[in-house]
Amino acid sequence: MTGYTVEELMAAVIAREVRDGETVAVGTLAPVPAAGVLLAHVSHAPRARVIILNHPDYWPFFGGSKEFYDFAQRGGLDLFFLSGAQIDRAGNLNLIAVGDPARPTVRLPGGAGAAMLYYLPRRVIVFRAEHSPRVFVERVDVTTAPGAGPPDVVRPGGPWKAVTPLCVFRFDRARAQLVVEALQPGVTREELQRQTGFPLEWAPDVTTVPPPTADELRLLRTRVRAAVARAYPRFAATAFAA
Amino acid sequence: MPVPGHVGSDYTRLRPEFRVIENPYAPGQRVLLVPAIRCDVALVHAVVAAPDGTCLLDPMEDDALLAQASTVVLVSAERVVDRDAVLRAGPGTLLSGVHVTAVVEAPRGAHPTLVRGVYDLDARHLAEYVAAARDEEAFRAYLARYVFGPKDHAAYLELVG
Repeated sequence: MTGYTVEELMAAVIAREVRDGETVAVGTLAPVPAAGVLLAHVSHAPRARVIILNHPDYWPFFGGSKEFYDFAQRGGLDLFFLSGAQIDRAGNLNLIAVGDPARPTVRLPGGAGAAMLYYLPRRVIVFRAEHSPRVFVERVDVTTAPGAGPPDVVRPGGPWKAVTPLCVFRFDRARAQLVVEALQPGVTREELQRQTGFPLEWAPDVTTVPPPTADELRLLRTRVRAAVARAYPRFAATAFAA
Repeated sequence: MPVPGHVGSDYTRLRPEFRVIENPYAPGQRVLLVPAIRCDVALVHAVVAAPDGTCLLDPMEDDALLAQASTVVLVSAERVVDRDAVLRAGPGTLLSGVHVTAVVEAPRGAHPTLVRGVYDLDARHLAEYVAAARDEEAFRAYLARYVFGPKDHAAYLELVG
């Protein structure tokens, strides 16, 4: 027993990445980042501008998601979150299909704005609640959003970290490579390697993530849970302990 | 239309109409172009609409953009009111009647999805739809019961409760 849920742990890790005063946006189907950003907002980042798609209290636009995409293209976002059905060692994301896209094993929902939103915010954190060899693969079947781009393409930002229940990767932009920065509490290097479909690269100073503090858990289970419920009622009902 | 930052994905392989060109405003840089989508018909559900087509739309959705990209635009609305009442009804996204072909009043016309601030989504009905969509025969039965069965919108609303 750890005394907190996986969602609470990931939300706390994400919250610690949010800097006060930043403009931070959370896209669709992203309740864990929403909880993390809201936790930061009610603790160390009260002056962050928080944008949460489909949240009635955190959607500042009147012109649909078009206005949001235009805002992102203009460089308005400091921090954003993306996920992938497959994520590979080079930080490539697949949201299109598992297998050959012409005859897919699984047809995925598609990338929406992912291929543009992976590079325009200054930092993008990849999140995934399942850390397994079928998710963290050597090479994605289809590249929806590449981790790194050719040098003659303007990319003001890009992938920054990847947060899972087992570890935190940082993204080495120069080498286009996910590098293990920290293990989640109680996770061993052997277990992490077993659950990852490519040979791991370790930072020289790999640490263990500090578990959620009592303050973080209290805020998550009260104010954050209530706020998240306005966009993700089912998540709010199941993802928080106590 | 240019999409900044986006070169190196598989989209250019999967979608041959997507082109990569040298950015004419920044020599030496490449940029992805995608063609605009033109729709023949768009169906849009509004909170309120006026007979001239002016309507108030959900500010989180892209219905106004969809309408502007389409040749024929059919607007259903929770209520049809006069134009001044539409302009006063905010907050929301206003769509000019210039883009609209026809307007019809359809209360609860977004069912089983929602109109924010008016009614919530019907989670039980959506669960029934999701279950039916897993199976060809069940899906045909769903269509027969809810789409082709009811003789009009009022009969549909009575059926779904």
